[in-house]
Amino acid sequence: MKSRYLLTTAAAFALAAWSSGASAAGKWDGADDLPTNPLACGAGAAETPVSKPYDGGQPTNPPNKAGKEITLVDVPKLIGIGYFNATSKGMQDAAKELGDVKVTTDGPTEAKIDEQIKFIDNYITSGVDGILFAANDPVAIAPVLKKALSKGIHVVGYDANSTPDAREWFVNQAEFNGIAKAMMDSMAKEIGEDGSFAIVTSTFTTPNQARWIAEMQAYAAKCHPKMHWLETVEAQEDNNLSFNQATTLINKYGDKLKGLFGMTSVATPASAEAVTKAGLCGKVAVVGLATPNAMKPYVHDGCVKSVVLWNPIDLGYAAVYVMRADVDGKLKPGDASVDAGKLGKLNVINGSEILLGPPFIYDKGNIDKFDF
Amino acid sequence: MTVAAQAPARKAPRWLARHETLLAVILLVALAGLGAFNERFLTIDNLLNQGRLMTEIGLIALPMTFVIITGGIDLSVGAIVGLCAIMLGYSWKTFGFPLPLAIVFSLFVGGLAGFVNGLVITRVKVPPLIMTIATLALYRGLAEGVSQAHSVRGYPEWFYFLGQGSVLGVPTQLLVLVVLVVVAGVALDRTTFGRTLYAIGSNETAARFSALNVDRAKLIVYTLSGLASALAAWVLVSRVTTTRMDMGQGYELDVIAAVVLGGTSIFGGSGTIWGTAIGLAMIQLLKNGLALTGVKGDATIVVIGAALILSVLVASSLQRRRD
Repeated sequence: MKSRYLLTTAAAFALAAWSSGASAAGKWDGADDLPTNPLACGAGAAETPVSKPYDGGQPTNPPNKAGKEITLVDVPKLIGIGYFNATSKGMQDAAKELGDVKVTTDGPTEAKIDEQIKFIDNYITSGVDGILFAANDPVAIAPVLKKALSKGIHVVGYDANSTPDAREWFVNQAEFNGIAKAMMDSMAKEIGEDGSFAIVTSTFTTPNQARWIAEMQAYAAKCHPKMHWLETVEAQEDNNLSFNQATTLINKYGDKLKGLFGMTSVATPASAEAVTKAGLCGKVAVVGLATPNAMKPYVHDGCVKSVVLWNPIDLGYAAVYVMRADVDGKLKPGDASVDAGKLGKLNVINGSEILLGPPFIYDKGNIDKFDF
Repeated sequence: MTVAAQAPARKAPRWLARHETLLAVILLVALAGLGAFNERFLTIDNLLNQGRLMTEIGLIALPMTFVIITGGIDLSVGAIVGLCAIMLGYSWKTFGFPLPLAIVFSLFVGGLAGFVNGLVITRVKVPPLIMTIATLALYRGLAEGVSQAHSVRGYPEWFYFLGQGSVLGVPTQLLVLVVLVVVAGVALDRTTFGRTLYAIGSNETAARFSALNVDRAKLIVYTLSGLASALAAWVLVSRVTTTRMDMGQGYELDVIAAVVLGGTSIFGGSGTIWGTAIGLAMIQLLKNGLALTGVKGDATIVVIGAALILSVLVASSLQRRRD
């Protein structure tokens, strides 16, 4: 443990020494090499989706329930945690609004794929009209979902996808470039257009984090060109290590460091804790991906102003609206958008995914409404 | 056959027959009850599908019955499932074995894992509970270390026949299970090996003095337990089309629940494969029936727990009356 920490720190220092010479031209540490697609600068710029042919599956001879009451079951990764309680609440809200949808949430108490398969299998037998799911494993869940489709049951995913041909639609909570834009814009608002910042990530090769960092760099180059990246450090997803790495950054750069990005739900609260302990609240901004509960203390004492994530209540709400539109024949393969109640029109992206919209930013005003 | 080996065996079935009969009656009543509540429950389609879903637990429950009859326990079975699933996937995808060889290799690893349990239990005299708790962590850790928590996917179509295919309308793996239930049942009832297991569980010292090879018998049952876990891993990977290191987590409890519900005494010395088969079917159908009747997942677990306590109470009161 300790030696790993020392080693990582040493590696981080070595990389920092190397990159301070090379950073002007090269990419940020921890970013991947895939092509980036930065969004337009400023607020509210609607993206025109790139059209890709529909790649989802279709149910076999589903009964025509357009406009009739439908019974849905929601099988999340697991039940009893705040996050999926929130998606489930969103579903109930949507069902109440629509009036002709009944939805129950049921699933395993641990995030186990074989348990989840059994739940779905039982609901196929009991005969529901539609299944909503958040997959514990994108491939392992595919056979049972295909079985549902073959029995004429509608299948819509949210939060965690399956292979596309095993479901009709997937409600995607956030795209990489959307998260990157929200992160950079929040940071620019807090530290100004010429501030310097550092990044605390899990490891340089973790896929999601690497994607976000690459998109952040691309977006910063386009929209915040004067902001200065200092360094990226690795902190696994280890609470203690994240705290130590953030403290090291604070000591190393002193006044130069104006902001810290936390790229994981562990790194963000740990960075906030490091800033608090160093007595630098208000001097060093922390922006990052995290869940509201972990961040409430820091948001309330003013140390953290914005936490970036999506809104799981809206995610569940959208999933039910997508299902209803699908059953009613209002959302067909090839359509470019779908009407989702209070969320307005949601765009179809990547063939058969529905984008929830820009990420949600939790701040002092709204964070207490969420419990997960 | 020695007299010492016969004595407990003759006594056991008479009481067990009653426990099993009772269990079978309860099962039929529960089936009828749940069937009356929900017309989708008692359909051939659903029952066969439930057979498919319970096969992995059932395969492991057979040698677990042997192990518990000898007065032992094997808590590492779930971890062996995870390890073997990973070994199957990795030896195929990463080490480049042909898939049939990878399957054989995974079965070998499972047998070896069980053999190691048996070896330490018999040679070092570590209590089975301690040893298999230790290997539960060890084998799961190995699976995690080898796989680095990555999954293996993309098996060829023929590989799915065992887990998703069917022969004459019956799920393939259910046929395998039925054959193995008969083999294990006959082995326990009709062979010297089976009698030896009862003798060990009833009185290990007496069994040793009767010149029975206690250590060899134990070594065999723990190895079988590992082997059956490997077979379950193969079936499971084939059914869910992917290999993950967390596969089989918590299986040990489901397996032991089925065995104990089936009337096998946790103290050893009595129990049958037929009882285990009924116990297994009962848990699976109860879970399914409740789910179809609209009872949610968490409440189902409560009902299963209550059923387990009830059956143990009935069993022990029957035993007391007999004594």
